[in-house]
Amino acid sequence: MKMQTSSRDLEHNQNHHPGSSGSATGTHPHSTTMNMRDKEKYIETFLFPNCDLTEKYEKVTKIGQGTFGEVFKARDKSNPKKFVAMKKVLMDNEKEGFPITALREIRILQLLKHENVVNLIEICRTQASQHNRYRSTFYLVFDFCEHDLAGLLSNVNVKFSLGEIKKVVQQLLNGLYYIHSNKILHRDMKAANVLITKNGVLKLADFGLARAFSTNKSGVPNRFTNRVVTLWYRPPELLLGERNYGPPVDLWGAGCIMAEMWTRSPIMQGNSEQHQLTLISQLCGSITPAVWPTVETLDLYKKMDMPQKQKRKVKERLTPYLKDPYACDLLDKLLVLDPSKRADADTALNHDFFWTDPMPCDLGKMLGNHTTSMFEFLAPPRRANQMRHHSMPRPAASTITDGGYQDRVF
Amino acid sequence: MPGWYYDKKELRHSPSAQDGIDYKTEMRYRKEGARLIINTGSKMDLGYNTMATGVVYYHRFYMFHSFKQFPRYVTACCCLFLAGKVEETPKKCKDIIKTAKSLLTDQKFTTFGEDPKEEVMTLERILLQTIKFDLQVEHPYQYLLKYAKCLKGDKQKLQKMVQMAWTFVNDSLCTTLALQWEPEIIAVALMYLAGKLSKFEVVDWMGRNTKHCRWWDMFVEDVTMDLLEDICHQVLDLYSQSDAPIHPDSPPLHSNAKQQMPSLRPSNGQEKTLSPDRPPSVNAKGPPLSDVPQFPYQTFTGAPPPAAAYASVFPSSMAGPPGGPPPHLSGPPPHIAAPPPAVFSYVNHPPPFSTVVPPGAPPYFPANAPPPGQPPQHRPYYPPQ
Repeated sequence: MKMQTSSRDLEHNQNHHPGSSGSATGTHPHSTTMNMRDKEKYIETFLFPNCDLTEKYEKVTKIGQGTFGEVFKARDKSNPKKFVAMKKVLMDNEKEGFPITALREIRILQLLKHENVVNLIEICRTQASQHNRYRSTFYLVFDFCEHDLAGLLSNVNVKFSLGEIKKVVQQLLNGLYYIHSNKILHRDMKAANVLITKNGVLKLADFGLARAFSTNKSGVPNRFTNRVVTLWYRPPELLLGERNYGPPVDLWGAGCIMAEMWTRSPIMQGNSEQHQLTLISQLCGSITPAVWPTVETLDLYKKMDMPQKQKRKVKERLTPYLKDPYACDLLDKLLVLDPSKRADADTALNHDFFWTDPMPCDLGKMLGNHTTSMFEFLAPPRRANQMRHHSMPRPAASTITDGGYQDRVF
Repeated sequence: MPGWYYDKKELRHSPSAQDGIDYKTEMRYRKEGARLIINTGSKMDLGYNTMATGVVYYHRFYMFHSFKQFPRYVTACCCLFLAGKVEETPKKCKDIIKTAKSLLTDQKFTTFGEDPKEEVMTLERILLQTIKFDLQVEHPYQYLLKYAKCLKGDKQKLQKMVQMAWTFVNDSLCTTLALQWEPEIIAVALMYLAGKLSKFEVVDWMGRNTKHCRWWDMFVEDVTMDLLEDICHQVLDLYSQSDAPIHPDSPPLHSNAKQQMPSLRPSNGQEKTLSPDRPPSVNAKGPPLSDVPQFPYQTFTGAPPPAAAYASVFPSSMAGPPGGPPPHLSGPPPHIAAPPPAVFSYVNHPPPFSTVVPPGAPPYFPANAPPPGQPPQHRPYYPPQ
């Protein structure tokens, strides 16, 4: 069958399969529908004008594993200088069709259009055919970002100046301010989900756990799942079972990431929820009604072991790394136990840290010295429980380059 | 990027039309599919947004495929299944099929094939790539409530009017209006219609200024009376149609049906308050208010279309032979123009409109955010310790 140029021109192939779809003049509606073979043929040959084929891109390498599928770097065949990230939508073992989590992520990404949020270009499909039982696989196609923050931080050769750190944190908070203004919670803040382009533009990524929230006017509390956020970045309210949470959960993560800019590895690497709470208490002080009046209402407050008589040591323990007093002060306002007292993105952006010398400065120049893409997925594993751990990058081994950028593949 | 709005000429050249299905039959298929979505959704206690989203997917789907290629009831189930997930009110595929089956004759259910669930699953991917993964759909309901909050006047009358407009929005899902006009416009038109029918004339509203001739001038621009009347008629036409199986070649139903209908139904004395914050549910079997038109979906099957009576509020010239204005109106409002001579003579898309108040979407970056690199105007002082 000849490929059509427009869906409207698509010729219904009645003539090719005489008798297959009944008489066109039949009066009963059901006698005029296609049979299975016709339908399969139709699905295979219909040129969905709203959904391009993945063939327009050429896979380069695997760069990660998202919440619901693998991520590949790919080249746009029509513009070889243009690279994209393609995230496969995993649909095996899906009893209920296209996963609701993927639908959520797509909807949220379509809503969010901002300099500091990863840009969804389109959704592509593979050709439906007999081999996939006429079911396409779908890929989310994003603008490609050369690095992720976890990858950059795990490379000792990447050195951030104070001004550059300010720029990273400022962009991170700008992104959060934007998504929170649009009533979206990210719920998976971590260094690996913070992408940075070679020009130094930060992009929040992986909205696979994100969801919309509403400030409940009705007084009915939200009942969100608290099984979100990677353990090391999980705020105390989630660890204590809070289900009526909001933007502060992302600000806690932002604080953890900000500290990591100096420590170079996650600051609280618990191996269980209990352990994580203990680590938090050791850094931020004991979790008590005195510092957090409503904490007693949380489900797990009485069930978890709450370390007592811990002094708050945020500044004390981080000063050796941070040095800058403004940075210490901002972190002290982000890593606040009581979510209602934690700084929001707007407040944090107004902090003197961003408005005193050295001012936030462009990252592009520093990143220009590094021509290898750095992703956590591609980096050697970071060892746990080692605050000062600096992992050595392994030599790059890749045959593919794009404008000087090599992908480390192990 | 494909817009999801079509002019009447495009609607007449749909894939189904090119596939040999006449316009009237296609409109019936669209209506039947929409009603299955609404009836199935209602039975499963799904919210009005979920059902409306499913219906919009359904109408969009058939702007790319013909009803001969994809039988309408399977598509309807698939649209409801997807809308359930998108609107965060997911229902199991097998339960949707089960409920739909209970609402369909065995013969109609045969289009679901031997493995109905597989059929819906395969179709879901086709649906997604057909609708360009444009999952987020807005409906007139939210605008209806928003606009109603601005209108001044007798509270009870206003509530009745909103209730009636709400029912018209429900019914508008059975038309292709969602393929023609933005939800804001549909909300304005159907509130206008409900205002006429419930004798609620809006004379004052909040936020009024001298440039506003009509309350909706605050919300939409360049909406002509002709356009509003056209939208109202597309909804009212539903009530003058019979659902009895129509032979594709049979002559169109008598266009005078509207004016042949009996007058307003007597009040049944029921009274129920309507709070704009808690919109009535579509799945209410009938609108709660006594003199609100009683035409939930179930009623347009076969039975004489009760709401057609409301056509009488329009100047007689619209309904055919002159009959004079209804007694409750002193005369046709001067701004009501004569209807277009034939329903579908209007092939040019009416002028574009722009919303005066962009309502929520698309997202924008709030103006009070400090732009990167620039100090905010009010910066609190944090003394570092």
